[in-house]
Amino acid sequence: MSTTVTETADPSGSTAAGSDAAPARPRPELRSSRRKALAGSLANVSLAAYFAFSLIPIVFILALSLKSNADQTTTYLAFSPTFENYRTVLGIGDGGSSYVRFFLASLVTSVGAVLVSLAIGIPAAYAAARYRFRGSEDLLFTLLSFRFAPELAVIIPLSVIYQQLGLYDTFVGMIWVLQLVTMPLVVWILRSFFQDLPAELEEAALLDGYTRRQAFFKTVLPLVRPGIAAVSLLAFIFAWNNFIFPFTLTSSNAQTVTVSSLAFLGGNQVQFNLVAAGVVMAALPPLVLALFIQRYLVRGLSFGAVKS
Amino acid sequence: MSDLAIRDLRKTYRTKGRPEVHAVRGFDLEVDSGELVGLLGPSGCGKSTTLRMIAGLEDATSGDIRVGSSSVVGLPPQRRNIGVAFENYALYPPLSVSENIAFGLRARGKGDRKKRVADVAHRIGLTDILDATPVGLSSGQKQRVALARAIVRRPDVLLLDEPLSHLDAGQRDTTRRELRHLQQELGYTTILVIHDQEEALSLADRVVVMNDGVVQQVGTPDEIYDDPMNLFVARFVGEPPMNLLDGAHQADGTVRLSTETRVAVGDVPDAVGPVVLGVRPEDVVLAGEADADVSGVVVVYENLLEHGLLTVELPGAEERIVAQTAPGLGLEPGREVSLALRRDRTYLFSAETGRRVR
Ligand SMILES: Nc1ncnc2c1ncn2[C@@H]1O[C@H](COP(=O)(O)OP(=O)(O)OP(=O)(O)O)[C@@H](O)[C@H]1O
Ligand SMILES: [Mg+2]
Repeated sequence: MSTTVTETADPSGSTAAGSDAAPARPRPELRSSRRKALAGSLANVSLAAYFAFSLIPIVFILALSLKSNADQTTTYLAFSPTFENYRTVLGIGDGGSSYVRFFLASLVTSVGAVLVSLAIGIPAAYAAARYRFRGSEDLLFTLLSFRFAPELAVIIPLSVIYQQLGLYDTFVGMIWVLQLVTMPLVVWILRSFFQDLPAELEEAALLDGYTRRQAFFKTVLPLVRPGIAAVSLLAFIFAWNNFIFPFTLTSSNAQTVTVSSLAFLGGNQVQFNLVAAGVVMAALPPLVLALFIQRYLVRGLSFGAVKS
Repeated sequence: MSDLAIRDLRKTYRTKGRPEVHAVRGFDLEVDSGELVGLLGPSGCGKSTTLRMIAGLEDATSGDIRVGSSSVVGLPPQRRNIGVAFENYALYPPLSVSENIAFGLRARGKGDRKKRVADVAHRIGLTDILDATPVGLSSGQKQRVALARAIVRRPDVLLLDEPLSHLDAGQRDTTRRELRHLQQELGYTTILVIHDQEEALSLADRVVVMNDGVVQQVGTPDEIYDDPMNLFVARFVGEPPMNLLDGAHQADGTVRLSTETRVAVGDVPDAVGPVVLGVRPEDVVLAGEADADVSGVVVVYENLLEHGLLTVELPGAEERIVAQTAPGLGLEPGREVSLALRRDRTYLFSAETGRRVR
């Protein structure tokens, strides 16, 4: 097998080795391409190992969600799977449960947060890409700092403020606080998309007689649409997965599914299998979206418009 | 199609925290209707800035721009009816070539769109690629699409920023000819920014030489080449470049290049003192000792295909002199040669101001 690999990997002539006297030792270039092949398969092996490793928690939680109460602490992979946990979490045959409500709350806050971020972030990113104004860099950096400041540092004053403003446990409050998560993402990523588009595209439209607004909507916006799609999905995932804000700033009304899944840990019985079922379902929307995202994250949008 | 008059146009870029940039400092030009003017100058001298001010994409700091009989200063680009073909084409990737060309017609809601696109495409030779998207086109084709887009709505003035710069040598030649032909046929008042001086001289009715935001000279290609007004134009225009030799003009009508070398130039009133003697390599000829103006030692002889270039060191002089000779002379380094300068094509510039004194 290794010879076929080296032969295809080295088209420079080692395939014609038959006519030469077969060398006693592998020729240098053969040896080096064999080394390359070896390095390649090593890389594959380690990638596979990493893949298996990162799959462990997912397999674990999936298995756990299918275990009965009796099995949950006593078995690893050998158990009789049951969907009982899912039925319990969703309250099927039990008149429904609050899980569905929390799931919807997650949807509302995440989608709402993304929409607000887009409405403000798209113009902001455009302005940041096209104009230098006083303090523009500082503003952008401040925005970015929201991302790397630990949320725990602000959460206590924030919850006090929220209590007093009446934003505690409201959708508006949640959507607002999630801007800390989604807005920097939207502005920073879209700014680079806008920057990639040559200003001449718009200028040409202006010369053609379009107004500034028309030029923006007709030339620039359609070209960054893939970027908007990508950043929306990304922001949605971040908002959905956020735990600390709903954990501290909501109690029942606007509580999200990430927090409510923990509810099964309370009471007199610790039911990890129910938590697992809740978590698995909560992980579905980001997972599905993540599959879509890859396609959109491909760059090179202004390809063909700019000189190479 | 209208004439264009620009008076004392200036542009100062002011960016906070950075020194002001005087990109254009007093630009004057009148372009007749249907004329093609080439804007020539080194990188960063303000050519693009000038075009952008004419188009309205950049506010002029001061000065006046008139198209036809009315001033366009203060008007937004939408209301100037000026066509621009950008250096980077500014084509719209998702649209086909014909849609790109029609893009500008749609804004003004012009009818007979199809006919006009087809007509322009036919003239520029784009008929075959009307349905292609810009991504796959060659630079030359993109260039032509950009041009088609600029002219399809029949602007009063056409501005082209380095339309040939991304083409290879062969494409350049043909595109240049096409461009000239088209411009004459359609009669557009055109300003063309052009990096390559040879192209500027061969293409334009008149050439504007710019440096550092200031117009150095405006004239026909012949005037620019034969009659440079100052050192900058003399140095910038011409390939191989003009010989420029430092010297001192003496009262006896000679220029002293060094203690050993003097060149007789005749009387030049009021020009006694430090000067720069300019003469193009083609006006320096090998001569017998009797007719020689200067003599020196061969440094190198480059045998090019159409001609030879002879570099000669003059005794005591700092600069070497280059002569354009017949090809294949085979002059070895170290050999003594005598050179004559064509008197009527020898220029004198003031070393102080750079202005030409003869
Ligand atoms: N937006 C701007 N802000 C500040 N300075 C600028 C700006 N645009 C151009 N300049 C400066 O103005 C000067 C003239 O620039 P311009 O683009 O007009 O030169 P150019 O002659 O077109 O050069 P090139 O041949 O390289 O295209 C340059 O020094 C440039 O750095
Ligand atoms: Mg330029």
